[in-house]
Amino acid sequence: MSSIQIILIALFIYLGSIGSIVGNTIGWYTLGRPIVASLVVGVILGDVSTALMVGVPLQIMYMGNVTPGGAVAWDLSYATYIGVAGALVFGKGLDSAQVIGLAVVFAGIGGFVGQFMWNISYAANLPLNRFANKFAEAGETKKMYIPNLVLGQLIGFAARFLPAILVLTTMTTASAQADFATLIPAWVITTLGVFGGMMAALGMGIILSFLLKKQYHIAIYLVGFILVTYFGLGTMAVAVVAILVSILYYVAVSKQADQRGV
Amino acid sequence: MTKKISAKTLKKSFFTWFFWNGCSQQAESMLGMAFGQAMAPVIDELYDKKEDKAAALKRHITLFNTESQVGSICNGIVCGLEEANANGECTPELISSVKVALIGPTSAIGDSLWVATIIPILLTISLSISQASESTAWLGPVLYMIVYPLGTCALSWYLFKLGYKSGLEGIQGFMGSKLSSLTDTMTVLGLIVVGALTASFVNVYLPIQIVRDVFDATTGTLLENQVIFNANNVVNAIFPKILPLGLTLVVYYLYSKKRWSPMKLMGLILALACLFTFVGYLTGVYA
Repeated sequence: MSSIQIILIALFIYLGSIGSIVGNTIGWYTLGRPIVASLVVGVILGDVSTALMVGVPLQIMYMGNVTPGGAVAWDLSYATYIGVAGALVFGKGLDSAQVIGLAVVFAGIGGFVGQFMWNISYAANLPLNRFANKFAEAGETKKMYIPNLVLGQLIGFAARFLPAILVLTTMTTASAQADFATLIPAWVITTLGVFGGMMAALGMGIILSFLLKKQYHIAIYLVGFILVTYFGLGTMAVAVVAILVSILYYVAVSKQADQRGV
Repeated sequence: MTKKISAKTLKKSFFTWFFWNGCSQQAESMLGMAFGQAMAPVIDELYDKKEDKAAALKRHITLFNTESQVGSICNGIVCGLEEANANGECTPELISSVKVALIGPTSAIGDSLWVATIIPILLTISLSISQASESTAWLGPVLYMIVYPLGTCALSWYLFKLGYKSGLEGIQGFMGSKLSSLTDTMTVLGLIVVGALTASFVNVYLPIQIVRDVFDATTGTLLENQVIFNANNVVNAIFPKILPLGLTLVVYYLYSKKRWSPMKLMGLILALACLFTFVGYLTGVYA
């Protein structure tokens, strides 16, 4: 990766992280999603099709990683930008399952660094409360942006952008040292492929924990499952079926509620 | 003369919140400082005396947390209450207690309805588009990048205005029977989609097979290295993709019932992957 490419990717890692200056809707929930991140990395590194090939499985794997806050499992932005970049840089000459395996491993490394930096910024933001208190006590309505926006973002930028530069530079240096595709033993690459396929279960399992509220809900979940396995529908087709079913369901339950006079 | 927040100030307050709600997140006041910043223009307009401004600012930099996209309804309600307070129709104590009371329900609705349901559904549609054809794979993420932020911004602004106009009655109406029907519906939609995703994307292959040289009596030739037993095919004959389904449900069980952390689950999956690969090499599935 050239230094311009490194800076651009690091910048997007910052923008896609929680509470960046573009807001969580555009940042964390859009730029930070693996499918979007992979497109961005693909454009920056000039290989959109490989980037999206690894972006799709990463997105599935991290589908359950949605809620920001104190208990972020992984810093998704770090995980996916580093994961996709790692797969593109080191994955030359490997087949698709193996490139995906590489992406999973680099995403793990990125997520680990990201989680660490999140904890640091979460702690470093604490003293900002003192500034906010001071301005509030003085009734300085025009200065309330300083602790939240200015100081909060200085910390956020420092905690995201700088370590990202470091990680990406290290990756570039390492990839120049040797041809990794030939160095990694075949069994490692096979394991990575197997691991990548199984990791999707993690994303699905976590999402289910939000959705399965009653026992019979598992039957609804299985409807989606067998539409693919028995009926051979694609996910897009199932999404259409799901929308139609849910409209009917909504009409049925709101009628019921009306009849009960709720 | 009664005080009224101008449309311009409301917009400013909303966009300050929409963009910068997470800028200074920490454990002490969570999104408190961001809430204070968003309320600053409103307070500036409503109160004339420095002491009143200070008192108002101080009650809005205290602990506050919500799912910030759907939670903009809180900002709307609080704007309405501050307006009433400036006109002597509300008390600071009421404002503070309402704010605290809104934390729980708006977080829960935002996280389960919007974040955990709408986002996965939109992402699924984007993924399906990306998978349909390699040459137009970029369309999926591009669609998401347009639809999600614009849709969320519109919803968030609508909820903000709803909160401001109808105050507490508004949120009670919003949280009434319609909302529970809507949540149930979203759950149904989400479950079907996640079921399809599980079947399409989770891959678990049971790498056990028996390979033998088989003597074909009809042609009288020896066929070398024929797979005479493949455990994966046998298992799938019972119920297609039963292993991916099983793994997903085990992960769900460990995560939601046994409170395993995602890191620990990742470790378990890595261990399983190593075991499966090892077995696969032993039985000759992987060469």
